[in-house]
Amino acid sequence: MLGFSVALRPDVLWFAFLGCVVGTLVGMLPGIGPLAGISILLPLTFGLDATKAIVMLAGIYYGSQYGGSTTSILLRIPGEAASVMTCIDGNAMARKGRAGAALCIAAVGSFIAGTFGVIVLTLVAPPLAAFALRFGPPEYTALLVLGLIFLAYMSTTSLVRTLLMAALGLLLGTIGIDVMTGHFRYSFGIAELGDGIGIVPVAVGLFGLGELLATPSRQVKNDVTAPKLRELLPTRQEWRDSAWPIARGSVLGFLIGIIPGSAHIISSFVSYALERKLSRQPEEFGKGAVAGVAGPESANNAASTGAFVPMLALGLPTGPVIAVLMAALLIHGVPPGPNLVNDHPNVFWGFVASMYVGNLMLLLLNLPLVGVFVNLLRIPYAYLYPLIIMFCVIGVYEVNHSIVDVWIMLIFGVVGYGLKKFGFDPAPLVLGLVIAPILEMSLRQSLIMSDGTWSIFLERPIALVLLLISAALLALAAFSMVTRDWRGKLAEVEAGEGADPGPRL
Amino acid sequence: MTLRTDHAAGLFFIALGVLVFALSGDLPFGTISSPGAGMMPKLMAGLMIAFAVAIFAVGHTSQRLAEIDWSDRWHALLVVLITAAGIYAYQRLGFLVTMSLLVFTLLVIVERRNALIAAAYAIGLTLFAYWLFGKALKAPLERGILWF
Repeated sequence: MLGFSVALRPDVLWFAFLGCVVGTLVGMLPGIGPLAGISILLPLTFGLDATKAIVMLAGIYYGSQYGGSTTSILLRIPGEAASVMTCIDGNAMARKGRAGAALCIAAVGSFIAGTFGVIVLTLVAPPLAAFALRFGPPEYTALLVLGLIFLAYMSTTSLVRTLLMAALGLLLGTIGIDVMTGHFRYSFGIAELGDGIGIVPVAVGLFGLGELLATPSRQVKNDVTAPKLRELLPTRQEWRDSAWPIARGSVLGFLIGIIPGSAHIISSFVSYALERKLSRQPEEFGKGAVAGVAGPESANNAASTGAFVPMLALGLPTGPVIAVLMAALLIHGVPPGPNLVNDHPNVFWGFVASMYVGNLMLLLLNLPLVGVFVNLLRIPYAYLYPLIIMFCVIGVYEVNHSIVDVWIMLIFGVVGYGLKKFGFDPAPLVLGLVIAPILEMSLRQSLIMSDGTWSIFLERPIALVLLLISAALLALAAFSMVTRDWRGKLAEVEAGEGADPGPRL
Repeated sequence: MTLRTDHAAGLFFIALGVLVFALSGDLPFGTISSPGAGMMPKLMAGLMIAFAVAIFAVGHTSQRLAEIDWSDRWHALLVVLITAAGIYAYQRLGFLVTMSLLVFTLLVIVERRNALIAAAYAIGLTLFAYWLFGKALKAPLERGILWF
């Protein structure tokens, strides 16, 4: 009840609404994904209290999942990477004149899955946080190692490439003053680097500017047809066909969402593969199967909610978007983790309750206003990306009023462009950058506690279990030369995204 | 031997790892019971080199370096140069002048749009952003030479 008394306050409702609208736009517009969107808009929350800030930023995140489906269905452009699978059957439905029905099923499926995810989050996060209070430095070290291994295991690129990117991120995370000894590391006499490299310039550079550099405007088409409101209702048969895929997608998505990695992307691929396997008419997939829209759309929304569990309960990011949201909480003086629910109950429960409200808002917002949102896609990309660059510069500069941060953003924009050309996924780099201080601190504290014995990680049961899981995953990955169907498909689609008009995170 | 993308990437990251070691001379590794400031960076640089060697070793299966599509390179280069000029000017000229020029230059030089339309769009957009950030959200924007 505490949560709803916070979330239903008019001022909090307003910021939830704002986040949902901006998120929908971020999900739809080319060249800007949720990570860049949240990073750019982070400075706008500086004048707000922590609750309003996190409510708005989270609204952008799950709103972008809704928005991404619109461009997938109407234009066959994945507005957001998690909507890649929706392109296949969603656009096939649109070509059959069922665009409205596909949009409606995607929105309703997203709503049901999002709400399901929030209910489970409400039930799971507090006991998990209570359990995490038993964690000391060795357990945190083991947990972070497991997170990185999971990320590599679930990655859409190769295990080694992902680990290399994570190691680079961890390395970049060591730049600045060493808090334990006071040594300056790799700061080259630049005072601003004493505080280290911020996540916002790196994330905006890699995912915002880097994407724009690789997307010349001549590659972006703007032929859009908006469906009429009366065409939005699916038939009774379409509802029946989508009911179980929505249910399965919700459960599957939430479970995958808790695991580190690009969960919202992977969950939609797993859901699509599952629905095709369970379907009585698998040959319909690719030609406009309703289950091919309902399952993946539900899964990616449930995964977005599931990803909040480790953040709220353990203080661990499962992906770069969650990492930026964590950074936002820290900026507002609220450290996420096991103590969040006790120390800042207003923020915790207000945030959880706002997600119920936000999902309802998105449903009401996305269906009737789909025509209005789609009209924004008619803005020529040539006029849109200078605006995004302007927002990148302002967004990064306003975090610390540091021009060095803006230069770092530009450098990482070029790095992101290069990584894309050579087939590296920058997401593990961002994650590595975020967890580097926590990992380094907990590793060094563990070694000091044990007086220099590595066996401390084997003597403590929780740490041992976590490390055994990591070892098992590495062994599995080493043996698994047989690529899974959905992984191969994801890699294929992502490889093809380079030529796509609207690729983004 | 044909140079392939993973060969180039592997070599690049090996060189980066070696560079990190070279720059870490004054950072103490410490001991296991008392790790120093250099422990984590050196461990990570070592891991990065190991992974890069692995990528290089199996690089023969990757795409040929010459096959990478660089058709967007001029677009990318121009955007980077114009943005760099904008960043350089930002604290000197201030928000309104720099952002108007940044948007105008991108539209005219990169996108070859009509200069009048580009100017109107650039000024309109910048004024909107100025109102949104500077007035509505009260974010302190750089004033530069205009003093407002």
